[in-house]
Amino acid sequence: MFGFLKNKLKDAINKFSKKAEEEAEIEKPIRADEENPEMKKVRVAEESKGFLGLFKKKKTIEEEIKGSEVKTEGVGSEKEEAVKEESELKRPEEKGSFFSKLTEKITTKKISEEKFNELFEDLEMVLLENNVAVEVIDKIKEDLKVDLVNVPLKGKLNDLIKNSLKESLESVLRETKFDLINEIKNKQEKPYVIVFVGINGGGKTTTIAKLANLLIKNDLKCVLVAGDTFRAASIQQLEEYANNLKVKLIKHDYNSDPAAVAFDGVKYAKSHSLDVVLIDTAGRQHSNKNLMEEMKKIVKVVRPDLKIFVGESITGNDAIEQVREFNKAISIDSIILSKADIDEKGGTAISITYVSGKPILYIGTGQEYNNLEKFDKEKIIKTIF
Amino acid sequence: MILEKLSGSLKATLSKIAKAIFVDDKLVNELVKEIQRALLQADVNVNLVFELSNKIKERFLKEKQIPGISPREKLVKIVYEELARFLGEEKAEIKITKKPFKIMMVGLFGSGKTTTIGKLAKYYSKRGYKVAALGLDVHRPAAPDQLEQICKQIGTPCFIDKKEKNPLKIYKEFENLYNKYDVLLIDTAGRSAIDNDLINEIKNLNQEIKPDENLLVISADIGQAAFSQAKTFHEMCNVTGIIITKLDGTAKAGGSLSACAATNAKVKFIGVGEKADDIEIFNPQGFVSRLLGMGDLEALLEKAKEAITEEETEDIQERLQKGELSLIDLYEQMKAMRKMGPLSKVLEMVPGFGQVKMPKEMLEVQEEKLEKWKFIIDSMTKKELENPDSIDVPRIERIAKGAGVSTGDVRDLLKQYKQSKKLLKMLKGGNPEQIIKKFKGNLPKGFKF
Repeated sequence: MFGFLKNKLKDAINKFSKKAEEEAEIEKPIRADEENPEMKKVRVAEESKGFLGLFKKKKTIEEEIKGSEVKTEGVGSEKEEAVKEESELKRPEEKGSFFSKLTEKITTKKISEEKFNELFEDLEMVLLENNVAVEVIDKIKEDLKVDLVNVPLKGKLNDLIKNSLKESLESVLRETKFDLINEIKNKQEKPYVIVFVGINGGGKTTTIAKLANLLIKNDLKCVLVAGDTFRAASIQQLEEYANNLKVKLIKHDYNSDPAAVAFDGVKYAKSHSLDVVLIDTAGRQHSNKNLMEEMKKIVKVVRPDLKIFVGESITGNDAIEQVREFNKAISIDSIILSKADIDEKGGTAISITYVSGKPILYIGTGQEYNNLEKFDKEKIIKTIF
Repeated sequence: MILEKLSGSLKATLSKIAKAIFVDDKLVNELVKEIQRALLQADVNVNLVFELSNKIKERFLKEKQIPGISPREKLVKIVYEELARFLGEEKAEIKITKKPFKIMMVGLFGSGKTTTIGKLAKYYSKRGYKVAALGLDVHRPAAPDQLEQICKQIGTPCFIDKKEKNPLKIYKEFENLYNKYDVLLIDTAGRSAIDNDLINEIKNLNQEIKPDENLLVISADIGQAAFSQAKTFHEMCNVTGIIITKLDGTAKAGGSLSACAATNAKVKFIGVGEKADDIEIFNPQGFVSRLLGMGDLEALLEKAKEAITEEETEDIQERLQKGELSLIDLYEQMKAMRKMGPLSKVLEMVPGFGQVKMPKEMLEVQEEKLEKWKFIIDSMTKKELENPDSIDVPRIERIAKGAGVSTGDVRDLLKQYKQSKKLLKMLKGGNPEQIIKKFKGNLPKGFKF
């Protein structure tokens, strides 16, 4: 999922640090010349040219990556690496030996805020391309600023930037020490009640089937609750899953009160001493006040142990708005990101955890029952850097 | 609302240009950057954003300043033209040119294909076409049931086979029945660009069925994946049009621009709610003008046409121009407004009101109130409707009882009626800007211009 981001990020960090190195060195002669206005102009011109040029360069690299992506994953990423490394090696040579020496030298320098803003632009584009929401990029930018602006920088800039970015991302992606299976097994009073909420077409019902499958494999007894009483055939869909998984389904008629169905589901689990109740709800737009109220009512009635927001990993900037409103309404506990197999970019995961402050438990990776993977923060940080 | 934030950001920069006496390089660069950011925030593809903003900059600097046109107007025109160029310069309606006219829906999982079929079926039925639906989603559990239930609700015949797992066989099973219908709407399974089996399936279906339109259904909130996904769908089955769904949320639907660019197809319809009526013809000019906060007169007229007949309009207009207003007129207006959609949406479409930001809570209250007022008006006698001043306390009590509301609600409506009458008198011979100015001091808290 994060493969695309990883490669792009590496490239951008290199550009960032290289540019920063150049800047730090150029700034000195200007000061010695007591602010030669002409030189300043030249610099501006060069930069603007550079910006457009960079964009073109980025485009070609992207095309190369796309080409290699078609092949199997392992081979693909190796190839991408090779492409990256090649361009890394080439670049210092292009600029002449002066700069290549500079990168190796341990120097002390400072970057002004103005300069930083300029330098950050490339990095910003990479994050944007990878579906990270603008608001979250601003937060990352602030983090980097604290680490890098007007502070004497010792050591290799490349590493400094990388570490700073890594720290920022680590703080954005929440800790996921929470283990659902253990949590359920350790609960004293049964059942453990989980409610699934989200936007229309986000994949709630499919996710419930996958999670039920996982729970059954861990010897936990579940009951499914058809709390989506609005969408056509939503009950039939869940019923088919229930039949396939051989678990009980609690349902009412269409257009009945979802809170009532949910209540019955919990009651059933109690009287049959089942371990888990999985409650499906209708998809709703977070801007629809009445439907949000309906969801609040469900939560009020069944008082779930866990409220899971199911989001799509292909959602763009609106993901922030969505998760924020759902969180405001019922204070969600964690997140499952569906359709993670569709896209290489991982930005939505970053955006959504940053805004909600809630961890991602699982990601959906396909159409089969077992296509549910644990979201591993450490692994992702390692993949990216 | 749709694209509210995007337009907000763009508007701020455009007004910066308006204030500036000279538009120099620096200001243009600033604007270009602002446009870039706004478009990126709306999920437009990154490469597309650069292509677009460079073009705008290039054209602005190159094209000569025409006397009589301010630099701001010149810039707005260029921005408008460049955005419209991607979405299509003209309104792209699907004309039913043969019988049966086959429309196939394709798209990612959960984008809203089946729901949209219901909406399209209703849309074309309303316009006098005989419509049928065909369910070829054999993968998702209960997909045929969903189509069946949706079609039942709107009274459209529906061809499904719950047992058959080969979509092509289902298509052939009913093949000799399609000729009876003007429009055949074909539902397919959700798929992504990475699943080879599903890609082959849709390729195969496309070759055998030869649809007259292949519509790609995309969700308004899709992010940077829009471009590559749309591109693959286009390669699979030649996308001829795009439908944006879930535009009733807060997403800015920049993905639609990406999808247009990737497929060279135009947006045909937009989905704006959960009900079968919540579909609109996409109007590129309107979309762009809304995006730039210029008001969307065309879309408003389009909807108004559906809502009230022309004579009714003339009749009401005549009386309104005279400054006369009865409760029946107010009721007719309200009814027409209800057909046009939520109040918030209607207001956004009125030119000059695009910039007015109504507080969200207030709009919600208004929607609830309208519902109540409908009952109140229904509980009035004809005499009372024609002459609301005759309504005294006992009558108010009777009406409240009849409508199942409080007397306060009835008084509320009467108050609203009196205010509307007053407003109407002021409206005579005025233009919106003046009225807004007059009202500025009296507007409720939370109103912004």
